[in-house]
Amino acid sequence: MRRVVLLLRKDIRTLGRMPALALALVAYPLVIALVVGLVVRYAGERPHVALVDEQGALSGLLVVGERRFDVERRLEEATEVDLVRMSRTQAERDLETGRVVAALVVPPDFITKLRGLRESPTLVLRTTRGGLGTRVVEKMRSLVYSTNLELQQAYIDANLAAVDLLLHGGSGTIGRTPFTLLGIQRARAQLRALERSRDPPVAARARELDTFMSQLQGAVGQVGSFLRATANPIELRQEEHGGRTWLLSAQVQGYALALAVAFVTVLLGAGALVAEREENVLGRLARGLAGLGQLVVEKVVYVALVGTALGLVLAVVFGIIVEFGDVSGGEPWLRLPLLLAGLVLAAVAFGAFGVMIGALAREAATASVVAFLVALPLMLLALVPAGSIAAAEWIGALFPFGHAQAALSAALYDEQPAGTIVREGAWLVGLGLAYGSAARVAARRMLG
Amino acid sequence: MPEVLLSARQVARRFGRRVVLEPIDLDLAEGEVVALGGPNGAGKSTLIAILAGALAPSGGDVAAAEPTRVGWMPQQPALYRRLTPRENLELFACLADLGDPDAAVGRALEAVGLAEEERRAAELSVGNVQRLNLAIGLLGEPDVLLLDEPTASLDVAQRQRLWRLVDGLRAAGGAVLFATHSLDEARRTADRLLVLQDGRAVYAGPPGDYREEST
Repeated sequence: MRRVVLLLRKDIRTLGRMPALALALVAYPLVIALVVGLVVRYAGERPHVALVDEQGALSGLLVVGERRFDVERRLEEATEVDLVRMSRTQAERDLETGRVVAALVVPPDFITKLRGLRESPTLVLRTTRGGLGTRVVEKMRSLVYSTNLELQQAYIDANLAAVDLLLHGGSGTIGRTPFTLLGIQRARAQLRALERSRDPPVAARARELDTFMSQLQGAVGQVGSFLRATANPIELRQEEHGGRTWLLSAQVQGYALALAVAFVTVLLGAGALVAEREENVLGRLARGLAGLGQLVVEKVVYVALVGTALGLVLAVVFGIIVEFGDVSGGEPWLRLPLLLAGLVLAAVAFGAFGVMIGALAREAATASVVAFLVALPLMLLALVPAGSIAAAEWIGALFPFGHAQAALSAALYDEQPAGTIVREGAWLVGLGLAYGSAARVAARRMLG
Repeated sequence: MPEVLLSARQVARRFGRRVVLEPIDLDLAEGEVVALGGPNGAGKSTLIAILAGALAPSGGDVAAAEPTRVGWMPQQPALYRRLTPRENLELFACLADLGDPDAAVGRALEAVGLAEEERRAAELSVGNVQRLNLAIGLLGEPDVLLLDEPTASLDVAQRQRLWRLVDGLRAAGGAVLFATHSLDEARRTADRLLVLQDGRAVYAGPPGDYREEST
């Protein structure tokens, strides 16, 4: 342990004498975190979808009661997807090359069927296989659902207006034909006048009819509530809460922290053991001064210390922005101790991975390039949405990034983070031990 | 009969399929200075690294008489270039668990004439880096000193300082093995000469009797 501490002090002192590297270690992850934060926040939010409407079937207004719908405009302004109008041939080509992730084909009789209300028009969504196809289907379902909901609401309003006319009477139109309706209320008033007739049979029939009209009035009066209730058994109301959901949503903080720690520790770890070899001191240390196991442990601890310190600095910066920047982003100060635990575990696992890469590569230049080449795709794998590509999840699980991100996100904003942190922490410890052991085995080659 | 301080029996080394050192025997006894000669790639550095314990042999054994301390100066400086000479020596002294590291560091710096040097090793001349490399090997006052081409980057004054140091160790009952390309150095300083070629010992005997054509 004493030897590990001695070497650790040496490494920290050495890092302090490389201001350019120290600066890069801080600045580079911050920039990357910002960029990835933007990507995570906005990427995939509006996938490009081809809109194939060769007959212009979307054009024209749909009038429902008092409201007018421009379905074409509604689709063009959709927030769920970015619909790009193009021909069928172009859409097929773009779908094949991946420029669009799906094509929405509009049938020629779309608006006609929608106006007729006898048969629902069908939009066809053509997708590719795989995760992105699934994602765009969800987005399109959401778009069709929200459009249906708006139309439904308009039809309900139109029906309610008709019911109101039936109850209270007045003028209206069916198509272009105007009409005037007496209405139940006024009919009952006339019936009550007839009830006062001196002709008993007339008065008796009037009372009977009024009783029926009273029942009818009650029943028709309920129609509005029933219509609304059956149309929307469950309603979702959106309420804005807190500050702006700027870049620093807690999820983005989790990604940014994991990414920053991953980059620093993997690259630093890859270079740490190799640096000893390039200083030619491995042979000296092997003469009973420090074993390879001690050296690997020291490098992992060193890299984890630097990574944790950097993560803490980032977390404090995020906390300050959340605190004073009118930004929603969890409870940065209350969660700092929990976040520290997550950062330490993540940094150890990433550090061990980096040291293993360094031990395998044996040369500084190779180690840095290999570390970057291996770590980057593995980090991006963790950004693939859960449940979309099983292979990506399996491979991603063997790299600490996804676990670190989950642990850090839980530490930042889960209501009950303990379960996630323990589970992901166990993964990180296990991966750290596995990579550390592999590094120890690989390091033997460095002595040759 | 002088006591053997360090002994190698049938030590050999291969890297993959490439044999760099055939099985070889070597004893270093009290008061003895042995020169190790041979062309580049003959296996001199490998043999010295194995004797120093820095490289594991593929076969054979190395044994040191108790409580012999072995110092090693590799051909390529083995030190931390971002640390000063004192910081380097302090680190290695502490790692070696020397009883009084400050005193050991002071003696080693004094021995190579770097006591006043406060620049980092990376800022030193090649010769001064080599002196620091030697100083690390001198830490703990070794009984056996293994020097791999120690004079390669040293000026005349520093060479003389080095040979005085070697003579002092011999006089104190220690042993020195040094690799060299200079037959003159070997004849002037060594009691014995061992010449390697292609990993095999091709001459072992008094330096004065060695003729290059004899191998």
